[in-house]
Amino acid sequence: MAHPQIAVFARLAKGGEGPRRLIFGQNTLLSRTMHDIRYNERRDEIYVANPFAQAILTFRGDAGRDSKPIRIIQGPKTRLIGGDTLEVDAVNDEIIVPLGREVLVFPLLGEGDVAPIRTLKGGDENGWRSGGGVGVDNVHEFIVTDATRTDDPRIQTRERGYARGRNSILVFNRLDDGDVFPLRIINGPRTGINAIRQMAVQPEGGWVVIAQISNGGIPEPEGTFVGVWSIYDDGDVPPRWRIEGKPGNILKKPRGVALNPNHKELLVSDMRLNAVLTFSFPEIF
Amino acid sequence: MSAETRPIQGSIIARAYDYRAPAGEPRLVSVTPLPEANWDGEMCSWAPDAASPSAYGFLPASFGAAPQSSSNDDGPRDIALDRPPTRVIKDPYPTFSAVAVDMKNNEIILQDENLFQIMSYDGDTNTPPTAALSEPKRVIGGHHTKIEFNCGLYVDPESGDIYSVNNDTIDTLVIFSREVRGDMPPTRELRTPHRTYGIDVNEATDELFMTIQDPPYIIFYDKQAKDNDQPKRIIRGNKTELADAHGLSLDSKNGWIFVANYGNAASYREQAASGRQASDGGGGSRIPGSGRFVPPSITIYPIDGEGDIAPLRKIEGPRTQFNWPAHIFVDEEHGDLYVANDGGDSILVFKVTDNGDVAPTRFIKGPRTQIKNPTGISVDTKNDEIVVANMGNHRATVFPRTANGDVPPKRVIRSAPADQPALQIGNPGAVAYDTKRDEILVPN
Repeated sequence: MAHPQIAVFARLAKGGEGPRRLIFGQNTLLSRTMHDIRYNERRDEIYVANPFAQAILTFRGDAGRDSKPIRIIQGPKTRLIGGDTLEVDAVNDEIIVPLGREVLVFPLLGEGDVAPIRTLKGGDENGWRSGGGVGVDNVHEFIVTDATRTDDPRIQTRERGYARGRNSILVFNRLDDGDVFPLRIINGPRTGINAIRQMAVQPEGGWVVIAQISNGGIPEPEGTFVGVWSIYDDGDVPPRWRIEGKPGNILKKPRGVALNPNHKELLVSDMRLNAVLTFSFPEIF
Repeated sequence: MSAETRPIQGSIIARAYDYRAPAGEPRLVSVTPLPEANWDGEMCSWAPDAASPSAYGFLPASFGAAPQSSSNDDGPRDIALDRPPTRVIKDPYPTFSAVAVDMKNNEIILQDENLFQIMSYDGDTNTPPTAALSEPKRVIGGHHTKIEFNCGLYVDPESGDIYSVNNDTIDTLVIFSREVRGDMPPTRELRTPHRTYGIDVNEATDELFMTIQDPPYIIFYDKQAKDNDQPKRIIRGNKTELADAHGLSLDSKNGWIFVANYGNAASYREQAASGRQASDGGGGSRIPGSGRFVPPSITIYPIDGEGDIAPLRKIEGPRTQFNWPAHIFVDEEHGDLYVANDGGDSILVFKVTDNGDVAPTRFIKGPRTQIKNPTGISVDTKNDEIVVANMGNHRATVFPRTANGDVPPKRVIRSAPADQPALQIGNPGAVAYDTKRDEILVPN
């Protein structure tokens, strides 16, 4: 990908309508591999990670070209190793960063070299490893992440392609700390999950929304969808709703998901189309 | 050149070049966006479903506690929604991310990173102001080509073979002969590490060089390498001062490798490795918490360098004007180094012998230049021109080689109507919604 940026579009933009503004340039300290982005209305802030510089960047909500981050979390105490995703808990003022064998929780207003305030530890001992998808339900008090089986032989052989692992949704208590096991695990053939990417949570309804990319290493893979589960789902259960990647739904290779509660809409970024699709989705609001 | 009026597919997701045979000349087009859909009363009904048994065999049963609530238990289950989106934001036109000049065949080859195509234009193409766009002579694109997030480009000066770098997802360098067009498999493939970006070939030694953005390193293959062939050597390690490596260009005359760096840095436990060890990317070797931001730079290495070596020189500092230096190009004949300065909307020119905090000897920048978010640069020494791929405005702009300042281009190859904004959405890995402003945030 040749050009990092955050493009900001009007909600009703469509087709080739241009963005209202673009956040890019050396001063922004952005890099590629922004595999998550969050907005916090309470503080009017935007959050992204820079995995190459092991940093979490916070921007003002109206940031534009060459805007500098207003806060940066970076340094030895952070234990950041390259996380490219994050979630923001605007109610409890926390930033949640999955990093494979652990999920780190930082204070939202942390700046500079700050240590995590909590750590959900997984790894071989606890049987899970976060793939990077993450969400918080601050109504029912859960953290969700996608998971890779640590005993999956494909991981050990480093099989190419994004389809390796990321085949489960794990639900933890929001305040879990230390060695933890999931409260619930959504996993199995009926789920259809094999490669989760961005996750979004609708906390009032307790819905977990995931983008299933299927296999990022194939230009136009089969089996992609956006799926919705309840935060209380458990085991090998299909999603409550799914929008499949097929011509009728336009969707090809969903990578990102976000919710617009103001208008009961689901937003999906599609990496094959290089596009953002807005679906009306009143069922989950 | 004559301009021809022709409508294109009306759909907002139309891939403009899917539906037309390339003609190699400008054409007028019209675009009719789809009306916004109205979904009132068209929602799928809710349907209850019985609870399903747990089957997560990879963890002990004790891991899964009983659900603390069952507030959604009576809700719907397994409803497949046939629901097209109400709106789609998508640039329907090609966006140029890289450029190479085929001087033997007088062609300008452009990477289109929006629609995942390689487009070959006649070298004299100049889109008239009255034309909507210029058609390429040849297009390579589609599922079978394995082209995706194609950001780097090299053209063999003798055979005309096109080497196309796939930066993400596919992790494969795809090579096409001059006969290939349309949705055809590559003539040759080489599996590469993740995040390849820059490419150049030392034709004297038949060595192919590429950069990997992160963990940053330079990788060397035989030019004819294919499939799972392993690299011959690499330059990697903390001494290299590589930091989010981007463009690469060779000065075979002086024996130097030039690499552009964005400045996103970290330290690594694993130092230089060679061959097979290099191909895994080495991402797991980062030292936690060692991340830092360093100034953007161009680092220079010996062309036969290997391992964890310090750069011979480094061009870096505020006088350089670097702002996300992307692709670079060494003009060996004149001793110039050209930099596509993405964030600065400029082309910077240095001497290949420059060192430290030096100002460019020339730069092309300003409203008359039509340069916007330039990521690609190539020099046509035969016609004494430079060609710029601009991601920010659907244009490739051609200048005299010695152009300096705010000067208009000699020619413009435009792939979209002049007033069509370039969205520059590329590999949108996520999305967010600004509930205060009712805005959609899309990161690349």
